[in-house]
Amino acid sequence: MTELIETLQFVYAPQVVNGLAIGVAVILMALGLTIIFGLLDVINMAHGEFYALGAYLGITLASKGVNFWLCLAIVPVVMALIGYYTERALIQRVFHSKDRHILTLLLTFGLAIIAEDAFRLAYGPNPYKPESPIPGASELFGMILPNYRLFLIVAGSAIIVAVWLVVYRTSLGAMVRAAAFDRHMASSLGVPVSKVYAGTFAFGVALAGLSGVLLAPIYSVFPTMGKDFILMAFSVVIVGGMGSIKGAVIAGLVLTQIQSLSSLYISPVWGDPLVFGIMVLFLMVRPQGLAGRLGHG
Amino acid sequence: MKHLTIAAAIAAAFTATFISTGAHAQQGPIKIGVVTPLTGTYAGIGQQVKWGIDLAIKEINDKGGILGRKVEAIYEDEEANPNVAVQKAEKLFQVSKVDFLTGTVNSGSTLAVGQVAERNQRLAATTVSFSDAITGDKCSPNMFRVNAKAGMQSAALAEWMVKEKPGATVYYLGPDYEMGRSTVAAFKAAAEAKGAKSVGEVFAPLDNKDYSPFFGQIRAAKPQVLYTSVAGNDTVRFLSQLSEFGLAKQMQIVGAAGSVTAQNMGAIGKAADGYVTGAAYSAELDNPANKKFVADFKNTWKAEPDLYGVDSYGVMYFYKAAVEKAKTTDTDKLRAAMRGLEWDTPQGKKTMRAGDHQAIQDMYAVKVVNGKFQIISKVPGEAAVGADTCTKF
Repeated sequence: MTELIETLQFVYAPQVVNGLAIGVAVILMALGLTIIFGLLDVINMAHGEFYALGAYLGITLASKGVNFWLCLAIVPVVMALIGYYTERALIQRVFHSKDRHILTLLLTFGLAIIAEDAFRLAYGPNPYKPESPIPGASELFGMILPNYRLFLIVAGSAIIVAVWLVVYRTSLGAMVRAAAFDRHMASSLGVPVSKVYAGTFAFGVALAGLSGVLLAPIYSVFPTMGKDFILMAFSVVIVGGMGSIKGAVIAGLVLTQIQSLSSLYISPVWGDPLVFGIMVLFLMVRPQGLAGRLGHG
Repeated sequence: MKHLTIAAAIAAAFTATFISTGAHAQQGPIKIGVVTPLTGTYAGIGQQVKWGIDLAIKEINDKGGILGRKVEAIYEDEEANPNVAVQKAEKLFQVSKVDFLTGTVNSGSTLAVGQVAERNQRLAATTVSFSDAITGDKCSPNMFRVNAKAGMQSAALAEWMVKEKPGATVYYLGPDYEMGRSTVAAFKAAAEAKGAKSVGEVFAPLDNKDYSPFFGQIRAAKPQVLYTSVAGNDTVRFLSQLSEFGLAKQMQIVGAAGSVTAQNMGAIGKAADGYVTGAAYSAELDNPANKKFVADFKNTWKAEPDLYGVDSYGVMYFYKAAVEKAKTTDTDKLRAAMRGLEWDTPQGKKTMRAGDHQAIQDMYAVKVVNGKFQIISKVPGEAAVGADTCTKF
């Protein structure tokens, strides 16, 4: 009996809580991706590199003596500007052509490759790891949990709720959803559609940059870091339903828990195939995902 | 691009032919072919190889060369690719007529170049490759290894561990591919043979981002020692996450020689402190020969020597001692002289084992203290080298 309690306490419970921290990280990545897809119909292959850019901006500011909390505020603003002008300068140019899907996919894919090499040139191939801004660990019911991960769970959840509120409870959000649903109608009703598009792209990019700063103390910063979460984030977006915030949250939590708990029983190498298997199943059986598209209910 | 490379190779081959006309064996300078990665991922290692060899050759030539002949090195870039290494080695033997070949880094290149040496009836030595097979089941009568093999590193570490914590319980975490599985298996065998008890193992995917899903199992197994062979950025994450979860304080963390290196030490920071590994060299080694070597190396190249630099420096003295003993560069006589040869290096006296061409040398357990490796114990070479498993000669 005590053995069972010990297993629950030392093996399962920490597994679930650790999985939760990873889940929040994945959802933060998936949110930006799903919003950009849901509204712009653009699959942003460079999303991971925007995440990396956020992290690199964070360590650059930190090396100039800016403290971590200030970085958390500055980086998303800078990233939003970068995102806004990326959309206006590059994506809008190919957005209205017939091969929009292929062209934007190739464009963002190219951006990703250039960005990765640019990081290598600017910062070198070796990894950086910022010090944890909240060091130490707390004991909760016999589980030892790093304080920073607890903070990540709380702060990440707050960001997710805030994003949901902005999209579903503000007039700005209503404009965004209207533009996603029918851009000609929205535009004839006076919604500045092209600005809304650029703004939404900027918002998604800012979220990626914010995740970069938030996650750097745990996962370190290096040129190929953009590839880290991106596959998992794409799976979450597909399983959750492309463009759905609610779907991304549910899928993000479920998929990371599956991965975390399965690693107790099967070789951890099977974690990724398991998740991608679920994604393929969804594509076959329920291609619209758990919930529908943004602006479509 | 491919055509360009071929054209360049042909042009280089012609130039080399013209330059080398008139140079015959036993006269003129002794030529050492060095096939080493000068570009690409392993360029950093190739740089140390070149620095070590150039420094040794300068010293040898300043003192009159070998048997009165000057020594010169001819470099070829192998790009850490066995196919390229074979072409370049063939070219060095056939066109440049080198007397001896060294420099290969990647174990696959060393094995392939050994066969080229056999065909050309010349001798070669590696100063870097770790794979046990080179002086084990894939040994070659024409290939020698002057550096320590992987098995010697784990034996040294296991030796230190059981002395420090007799009957220690050990947990293993490696990356899930050939290198990870073989390093864990080798260390496990060495540790269990010396009385340690294994309490669990897990293999994480390469480039794993979060190790916390494994911490519950590790904590439940309550090991005294945690062995790891993850490398590069994986080590950064693994060690910093261990200390984030407060696990690093509860157990002694040990690992493979390639896990914590100069490249990732900075990013790991404080979380690397206390990490112990088995190694064949540290620039901190306290003996007069090493102090002089480190000072000369720093003076000449404005950089600190590492394991690869010192072994590549040492191979030139190995060759010099053998030629002086054989009084010729004739392959068969030289091979006989190399077998059982004892020579001095900054790492101390080394002995070339006749049965498998593996150098026997003292090994060390080294610990990270404030971002630097410090020697904490010495394991005699005989205890670390293990049995001779070569059956080809």
